[in-house]
Amino acid sequence: MLYKILIVDDEPPVRELFEDLFRSENCSSISCATGEEALEYVKKEKFDVVLLDIKLPDMNGLEVLKNIRDIHKTLPVVMITGFGYDEELIAKSKQFGCSGYIGKNMPVAQIIATFKQIVKVAKEKGCKC
Amino acid sequence: MADIKEKFPNLIENAAVAVLYLDRNGSVLYCNKKIESLIGCSRTEIINKNWLEVLFKNSGNIMKKEMFRAVMEDSMVYKRAKDFQCNIQDSSGVERFISWSVTPILNKNNQTIEESAIIGHDITEIEERENSVKNFDDSLKNIFSSIKEYALYVINLDGNITYFGMGSESMFGWNKSDIIFKHVKVLHDIGGDPSNLTFILEQVRVFGKYETETELITKNKEVIPVILSVNHFLDANGKLAGYIFIAKDMTERKKLEYQIFQAEKLVALGQLSAGMAHEINNPLFVISGRLEMLKQEKFSPKIKDNLLLIESQADRIRKLVERILKFARKSTPVLEPINVNEALEQVLPLIQYNKLPAAKIEVRKEFEKNMAQIKGDLHQLQEVFLNILINAHQSMPGGGVIKIVTSNFENLYAQIQIIDSGVGIPPHSLKDIFMPFFSTKNEGTGLGLSICYNIIKSHNGTIEVESQVNKGSTFTIKLPFI
Repeated sequence: MLYKILIVDDEPPVRELFEDLFRSENCSSISCATGEEALEYVKKEKFDVVLLDIKLPDMNGLEVLKNIRDIHKTLPVVMITGFGYDEELIAKSKQFGCSGYIGKNMPVAQIIATFKQIVKVAKEKGCKC
Repeated sequence: MADIKEKFPNLIENAAVAVLYLDRNGSVLYCNKKIESLIGCSRTEIINKNWLEVLFKNSGNIMKKEMFRAVMEDSMVYKRAKDFQCNIQDSSGVERFISWSVTPILNKNNQTIEESAIIGHDITEIEERENSVKNFDDSLKNIFSSIKEYALYVINLDGNITYFGMGSESMFGWNKSDIIFKHVKVLHDIGGDPSNLTFILEQVRVFGKYETETELITKNKEVIPVILSVNHFLDANGKLAGYIFIAKDMTERKKLEYQIFQAEKLVALGQLSAGMAHEINNPLFVISGRLEMLKQEKFSPKIKDNLLLIESQADRIRKLVERILKFARKSTPVLEPINVNEALEQVLPLIQYNKLPAAKIEVRKEFEKNMAQIKGDLHQLQEVFLNILINAHQSMPGGGVIKIVTSNFENLYAQIQIIDSGVGIPPHSLKDIFMPFFSTKNEGTGLGLSICYNIIKSHNGTIEVESQVNKGSTFTIKLPFI
């Protein structure tokens, strides 16, 4: 297994797609739909990376990111959003300590490649997960 | 009678008018007290002197002196009294304005001139009074003519215009003389419907006054939105003599209101679009993702072709959503000092990278040499310029000229004009041109110009368009200087 990934997105078809895509990339994944669940997982399990949607039903993805940082200073977190490339969201995500940012409007192959690149860089920086 | 003759010299001596009596050569034979006080000399210094030298003793105005001489000669030639007005200086250097009368005195046969008399009436005070009244009138006229957005006119009980003043001429384009005594319906009759006027006058008759928002019509049949206030017009005896109309031109206000309305609509549309784009992106992501996975499998060529078609159509949606998000996004401009000439120069080479018809198009630049800098986001502004230039290109499938003109507008704004000689925009489309999803092009998304509009607004600038079908369009952008 290359990476163990936590997928946080409230839409089942999106979660399932990510699961399948990562499986074909030789990664394992666990997925959940809310910020609260995500924090529970991060507390009790070890992940190589978190894929975190910005729009969640219970709390804002940025808020979840902030809470993850309180638990794990260096766990790579990649933000994903349907809003596409939004400078303001990117700036805020970076401010809260995300490792990278992916818009769901990018072509799928590009999303996977970008994702892998972000995780690689984060790992090289010496993230202890 | 004899009594009067005795008193006459005394009367002349003490008269309020200045009197000089001359021999035929113009030497002074007699002068009265008024002349002495006016010139500031005693009688002995005046007698036997040339009359002009006496009167212009204190004045340096040779022109007036020579004119007076000519008037005198004229009166001698035609043997007739002549009037002449000119100012002379008195002994204390004060200009006195005097109305002169020159009278030749003929011999008993009325043949030859023996002597002549000059009588001068000091009208300085009268003149000053008239001048001050005239000045007041002039300044009132100036005040009234500067109040451009108001028009005041009065009609009599028959509805005919009896007074047409204060801004009426400039508002309606009518000359006072052409409209006086015409029926007031020439200003109110919009589309042949005088019921509005009848209604207004009925209201005034009942309530004494009436105020309404309505439209009036100019001589050139242009409709102007106004706030109209109508009151009773009473004569000196307090009897109803007609109606006073005061109209305030609301054209500028309406324009502003429309702009605000448009801007608000754009904001609302922006929010709606952002939400919509997000909702589309999620399922679209799933479709594209599943497609990508299917492409790895083995299928018949027919199914593969279908998959590729689905992929290309999904990609089309993806690009559209990207444009919508770009429009909706309120990205704050990154401000830096910019010279608009340089920004335009950098954009021009980019036009060729956009798949454009290969028509022969000439670009003419007329750049202001001393262009001051503006503060703006270079990339955003270049996107605006590029967008308009590409539109200009596309509007000229048979080739043409694009003129790019920059100038200092009232030293407040950098003005950029992009003028094409293309197909133009029909009048009914002009007002919607900056609205999102409005396009006159077959394959346009209708977002380009609305994005331009948003960018220019966020720079506190303005963007306007003028166009004539088959003649071309002019886009005018104004951006405030630093």
